[in-house]
Amino acid sequence: MKRLRALNHKAQLLEHAVQEGNGEEVQLMSSVVGCTTTFDPGWEVDAFGGLASLCQPMEADLYGCTDPCWWPAQLADGLNSARDWTDGKNSALRDWRELQTLFPGD
Amino acid sequence: MKKLLVALCCIAASASAIAAEYLLTVTRPNTLHVIDPAKREVVRSITIPGDGVPGTITVPKDGKVAYVLTNRMESVVGIDLDSGNQVFRADFSSPGKRIKGFFAAAVSEDGRELYVHQAPVVLGRSEYQVEDTYIAVFDTADGVGAKPRRTFPAPRRISLLAPTGNKDHLLALGWDMYLFNTRSGTIEKTFPIRHWDRPGLGEPDVLAMWGTFEQARALSTPYFVANTAAAPDSADAFKAGIAVFDLDAETLKTVEFENAQTAMFSSVINPAARNEAFLVMNQLSKVDTETGKLIKRVDLEQTFYAVNISGDGKEVYIGGALDKIAIHDAETLEKTGEIMMPGGADQSIGWLRVVKR
Repeated sequence: MKRLRALNHKAQLLEHAVQEGNGEEVQLMSSVVGCTTTFDPGWEVDAFGGLASLCQPMEADLYGCTDPCWWPAQLADGLNSARDWTDGKNSALRDWRELQTLFPGD
Repeated sequence: MKKLLVALCCIAASASAIAAEYLLTVTRPNTLHVIDPAKREVVRSITIPGDGVPGTITVPKDGKVAYVLTNRMESVVGIDLDSGNQVFRADFSSPGKRIKGFFAAAVSEDGRELYVHQAPVVLGRSEYQVEDTYIAVFDTADGVGAKPRRTFPAPRRISLLAPTGNKDHLLALGWDMYLFNTRSGTIEKTFPIRHWDRPGLGEPDVLAMWGTFEQARALSTPYFVANTAAAPDSADAFKAGIAVFDLDAETLKTVEFENAQTAMFSSVINPAARNEAFLVMNQLSKVDTETGKLIKRVDLEQTFYAVNISGDGKEVYIGGALDKIAIHDAETLEKTGEIMMPGGADQSIGWLRVVKR
């Protein structure tokens, strides 16, 4: 944590948790599983630094990630805040062009 | 004529004794499909009432009612596979409290009780209050509008549940595997996975979102683990393995079979050769869990999340993600057929289960 500095309230809460000995409540994965690392923004690089273990085609993973809210920063949260994001668009491969960008407050 | 009648009766009797196998899967927006894998066709599509998206499918031994986790993981709906009617429904959430069941739902083998791991959150004005997780037990006879008959505490992060050969036991897969007694509501035994103590190995990561254990009665999942004895930049710095829990013997076996070089999402054990496991994502892999060797691997035309297998161990079914179920020969791993979902609808996180009727 020496090279990381909390910039917002949430990050400060995490810092406090560590200081209070409750850092175990937030854990990083020790190794990588799945199609990308937790902090990578989406599907750019797979767990092995390449592309072969990314989902093929990308659309194959689109609904599989939005439905369980797997990448909440990169995809619509299909579980809670954007439940209707894919309504009427039952095929990601066919309908992806109709998916709309979401903005805070939408 | 008499001999002919006797022969017909014998054929009819033997036909009824041999159960036919059907595949179950789900697609958007909220549809359950019954598939005849022998005919390579969808034989029935049933609209599940209410909001989707469906995922987990669990079926008792008699294969009559499929229980589907849907409504953004906030409901389980029981569908009678013969009539297509909704015969059971449990909505978890209520005003002010949101309750999700993240994949982990299982019906008892006799079909009487349904178990769901639930994560409740109280929705306050300016904050969410996360409450302790638990396993809710429903009586399936309560039908539509069912409420939990009882609950018992359970660790967080549980993604799979499976009844074992002991009718009072329920296996839960989370950071470790927990063997619950559903009568007492206690954990009788913990099988360490994340907390294993194996020299030279780190803590394994498991992505277990697809329950597939009905054919071999063995719940399995791929895992990836750091090989701490190796140099971090070496080829064997991370190993790929498979964990197999025998649901009758209630024993856990873990084995690493290669240096980690490709992602694998789910796995299934061959009921006809229990040392064989099939793992899937962008490739279909066949592994010998006794020798810890990769037997064969083929590239797939697309990503598949879920895998299952025929009762005779001859055909491997792969599905999930997009709108296709592919069928591969279990020996050669060559593709032998495919079944397209009606309307091109995606299966996404949907499970792929086999029922015998």
